[in-house]
Amino acid sequence: MFKNEEMEINLGPQHPSTHGVLRVKLRLDGETITHCRPMIGYLHRGVEKICENQSFFQGQVWTDRMDYCSAVANNLGWAEANEKLFGITVPRRAQYIRTMLNEFNRLASHLIWLATHALDIGAMTVFLYAFREREDILDMNEAFCGSRLTTTAFRIGGLREDLPPGFEKMVQKFLAKFPSCLEEYENLLSENRIWKKRTVGVARLGAEDAIAMGVTGPVLRAAGVPYDIRKAFPYAAYAEMDFEIPTRTEADTYARYLVRMDEMRQSARIIQQCMDGMPEGPVMAKLPKILKPEVNEVYHATEAPKGEIGYYLVGEKGSSNPYRFHVRAPGFINLQSLPKMAEGGLIADIVAAIGTLDIVLGEIDR
Amino acid sequence: MHKILRTLIPFDIAKGLSITGRHFAKVFFTANRRKVPFHIVSEYPEVVARIQPRFRGRLTLLKDEQGEIKCVCCMACEKICPTQVITIEKGKKEGRKMPFPVRYDFEMERCIFCEFCVESCGFDSIILNHQFELAAYNREDFSLGLEGAENMFEPSQVGKFSVADD
Repeated sequence: MFKNEEMEINLGPQHPSTHGVLRVKLRLDGETITHCRPMIGYLHRGVEKICENQSFFQGQVWTDRMDYCSAVANNLGWAEANEKLFGITVPRRAQYIRTMLNEFNRLASHLIWLATHALDIGAMTVFLYAFREREDILDMNEAFCGSRLTTTAFRIGGLREDLPPGFEKMVQKFLAKFPSCLEEYENLLSENRIWKKRTVGVARLGAEDAIAMGVTGPVLRAAGVPYDIRKAFPYAAYAEMDFEIPTRTEADTYARYLVRMDEMRQSARIIQQCMDGMPEGPVMAKLPKILKPEVNEVYHATEAPKGEIGYYLVGEKGSSNPYRFHVRAPGFINLQSLPKMAEGGLIADIVAAIGTLDIVLGEIDR
Repeated sequence: MHKILRTLIPFDIAKGLSITGRHFAKVFFTANRRKVPFHIVSEYPEVVARIQPRFRGRLTLLKDEQGEIKCVCCMACEKICPTQVITIEKGKKEGRKMPFPVRYDFEMERCIFCEFCVESCGFDSIILNHQFELAAYNREDFSLGLEGAENMFEPSQVGKFSVADD
């Protein structure tokens, strides 16, 4: 009557805690996961191939739609890769504005991660509080480039327009209230016994495994590896900024939560420094009439909120389209550590594991 | 002993509840749609949404002071559009030196509102307006041209969806 049998179930593809259309094939022994395989491809649009059939300039609109929670960070990586390919130097003011918007985007992305991750685990209060602050950041996006989510913020060689009038006031207003908001989230979660029961020691991923799998971003830093491209290979104006890389050594879900919270503080610090030291000058470099690739191929990595986003571009002689357009999406690489995190754990903990990886399926499937 | 006390008396949960309570009180005693139209969120559609000046809405063709279409069919917008939603047909009009668009079709259903067309236009003859309520019941309503009820010069008709519209 009581046969010892393993059961196979699907988590997703339309499960609310899978953050999109991720399907996870699970084999269960009772409540314990013995086998876990993420299945992707439900949101595949062929972004890379579309970009190869369009000019270098047009590729940006597709990068918006990869990781739609952090479109500005995607735009930045794309813009810098193109500038490397064409050998363009960006004016300093444009670099500062880019850095500031990128950090705002990091805040927005981490806030949406905090909101949905807490909602998955069962803390519903944080959800709307985090979205309240994210709203201000989206308003700033709208004021700067006219769109809230699919920003198309930058151009090859700089920015399309300077900061709008009144932007500084918006930033200062936001920075004045943001630390108290962060404190609010931490008061709600950090000491909460239910939150700690659901996160401490759950979904561990040690430094060795993380490095072996190529995991980057807060997941790697929570394992004690202080690797951040903003410091390791500074781009934009990060070389002139003073900030720290928050790390933890516990390598569990709770550590990743703490790392991301600290990262938000550092982001606020960088934004303040950008506002204080904003240089004057043009925001667009002088471009030649026809853009010709200086080198044949280029790989440029930047630190997106979710990890290392890299653009691999290959230019072709006599063509305005990239011959190859490849994206190293952080979510795609990070997702492969899901089996390592979930196998051997309880089925309820895989929800925490998916949430803590901070994946966006638009980026994974592309 | 300390641990037992901490388990028995839920300080951590009280801390969280106090935040929720404070916010609830703040909203409860100040919430009044007439006095505070934007509390944290605006009560759209009853309250008109605030829009930033650079907002990217629907593509609109502009006319100059004489009521002439400013577009001179340089095809820059057609070329730059990442989703190929613009189709222009060149033509001639009497008493006008520059080419004149006989046809300017815009398929709004595929438009991604990136503003590349406006940026590429060297004659300032197109803008993106501030309209965002673009939903419609019929697919034909998304194909805009120079003529017809839904045209490129005026804002689209707002579909009647909410109670506030009546």
